[in-house]
Amino acid sequence: MSPRCAIVGAGLGGFVAYAALRHAGLEPAEIAVLGERPDADPAAAWRVRAAAIRQQRMRSESDGHCAPTSFPGLAVREAVRNGSPGPLLLSACDRYRPSVAEFLSHVDELRDRSGWDESVRQNRIERVAAVAGGFELDGRGPFRHVLVAPGHPGLAVPAELAGDARTVHAYEPHDYAARVAVVGAGMAAATEWLNALAAGAEVVSVRRREPARRPLNVARPLFSKRGLAGFHATPRAPRAELLRRLGAPSYPPGRSWDAPVERAAREGRFRVAADPGGAEQVICATGFRRGFEHDPLLRRLVEEHGLETEGRWIVLADDSTVPRLTDGTRTLALAGVPAQWAYPAADTLVGMKYVARRFARRVVACPTR
Amino acid sequence: MSYTLRGRLETRLATAALPVLAAALLSLALREWWPLQLAATMLAVGLVLDAAVYHRLLAYQPGWVALPLGLVELGLTMALVLRLDVAAPLGPALWFFLASWLLAQVLGHALLPLLHLTYGDDGGELGRGGRALSAAAPAALVLVLGIAWAAQPPTVRLEGGTIQGPLVLDRPQVVDGGGTVVRGGILITSDDVTVRDVTVFGGEIGIEVRDSEDVLLERVRVGGASLDGINARRSSLTVRDCEIDSPDVGGAQGIDISFAMMLPPSVVEDCSVRGGGEGIVSHLAHVDFRRNHVSATSLRAIAVTEMSMGSVARNVVEDATGVGIFCGDWSHCAIRENSVTGTRADPSGNPTRAGHGVVSHYYAVAELDDNQLDRGAAAFIHGRFDDLR
Repeated sequence: MSPRCAIVGAGLGGFVAYAALRHAGLEPAEIAVLGERPDADPAAAWRVRAAAIRQQRMRSESDGHCAPTSFPGLAVREAVRNGSPGPLLLSACDRYRPSVAEFLSHVDELRDRSGWDESVRQNRIERVAAVAGGFELDGRGPFRHVLVAPGHPGLAVPAELAGDARTVHAYEPHDYAARVAVVGAGMAAATEWLNALAAGAEVVSVRRREPARRPLNVARPLFSKRGLAGFHATPRAPRAELLRRLGAPSYPPGRSWDAPVERAAREGRFRVAADPGGAEQVICATGFRRGFEHDPLLRRLVEEHGLETEGRWIVLADDSTVPRLTDGTRTLALAGVPAQWAYPAADTLVGMKYVARRFARRVVACPTR
Repeated sequence: MSYTLRGRLETRLATAALPVLAAALLSLALREWWPLQLAATMLAVGLVLDAAVYHRLLAYQPGWVALPLGLVELGLTMALVLRLDVAAPLGPALWFFLASWLLAQVLGHALLPLLHLTYGDDGGELGRGGRALSAAAPAALVLVLGIAWAAQPPTVRLEGGTIQGPLVLDRPQVVDGGGTVVRGGILITSDDVTVRDVTVFGGEIGIEVRDSEDVLLERVRVGGASLDGINARRSSLTVRDCEIDSPDVGGAQGIDISFAMMLPPSVVEDCSVRGGGEGIVSHLAHVDFRRNHVSATSLRAIAVTEMSMGSVARNVVEDATGVGIFCGDWSHCAIRENSVTGTRADPSGNPTRAGHGVVSHYYAVAELDDNQLDRGAAAFIHGRFDDLR
């Protein structure tokens, strides 16, 4: 049986798409997953980053998992396993945050159940070329339907700190010195403040702006059609500006975040500054590089096919397909952070599912498959 | 969930489909309309709130909000049920609402997201299924109304003039007399019978009702009967705008409703009853006698007796011999805003029949409120008055 579609990228974005395709009825042999890593663990890269910042809880909620259906979510799973309605009640109040262990355990189960390992091939894809009847991936194919889920295009480190020997990125394994400067103001930075304080360090928060406080990456209506309708109707330039604003650093509100920082501030162990000063260690919690031009595969795709772009985003259709390369017989879709043009929270698990479900629908509906 | 307006309405229709179906089956089984009326009221309240309130106020709706919204919908639904006189018993109605609400939660949080993968992404919209549901809803409404219309009893229009009775009505129907005179009486032995605009003349009993419910006698006139004008046994009925002319014989009764304690209340309203021994009387029944004019009776004008429960309100009683309004034999009566004038003593000399306006007799309890009595009220043999004013 030859593959009917291909997924470029074997991380969480690719895994979510794979699960949606399997749910839609495709067999493992009908899906080619092409990834860089020698192991097939879809959460491998994510695991490293979560471990680096000692993340215990997900920012996402009960439906922040990789399965194609939102129900049963992680709250139901935990409630059933523990025989307690607590997670369900928390979920009803939007207060449920699954543990990282819960999430990863679910990923492992789904990986076994879905036949993911049968479909994954270790192939670093450097070029997606539109050809008659679909797309060639570094000469392989053609595949009628391709979903590109390349992940983040590398860690972002401010240029002025790039050569500094004290510098380490938050998502790289590290310990904490006695005097630590944490650059950034998002979720990873907030986590690192608490980690460093818990390790007994003196912390300097280096940030250009005050972080926004919100439970999720973006406002809740933007996760579904009600908010997306307005977003999709926004003209290109304001839409890019809106995406830039939505991308500003934020972390959830709550005493568990604020109390340790306030206590440390009173003790003189936490302060905000404009630069790292004489810190022994500089932790860059500055996230990832942003924009398609930082990803060689996407940059080449844009250049070779003359795709429309706006700022750092490739212009996509509302279902996250590339309009110029998608029609009734073939599909090229982007998932993960490059899909923000279609779905502002595309780099979340819910966002990955949004793209995956629509991609699976196109694959199943295609009359020529 | 951030519902779109369409998503809210489609979700509402999808979650209401099963309760409406259950209500339809229940209506068939009980031969009652209230389950379907209750379900329709619930659905209507929900749809109006969805469109007019929830969509505007709730850009995002956390799961817990379903609880207060459910209570609001319950309150509005029950208020409408009362306002529209839907005959839904309170307990079953509350259970029905609760079960429907729980089902809606299970469907909305679990089943619909499983059945329609993009349910959450699409703000509660159900794709083609939702569109089909939206199209089917008005069709279902038309179907239900059509069935309701088709299930109405047939109407029989009498041609006028005089027809020879007795007329036996043994199945649901509406008899529209158009002024027809029926000689020899009418016998009703079926539920859901309406008789209107008929004059009944002669016979022993003018209109006899046996073992029947939901009977309506409207604008009927009875005269020339040798005994009772209207006589109902083990039945529940409404008599409205009637005229009864009873013979001047001791045992004759204008309207007699008896042996129906376990049935829904019977109502006699806006009737004129003249002559006979008793004008309007109940034995062992639950009754409501209101705004009637009763005159020239020889025993009692209005009687609620033999363990009856009744309301006697805003009636005018004139020229009664013995007793105006009688509450007797362990009955409980609410007697309000009646006018009783011209009563006179029975020639027998019996002190209980000395022309009293109101009598409470033999362990009966009569509540009096704002009555106009020119001969006062009296109680005998442990009869009691609870004077509300």
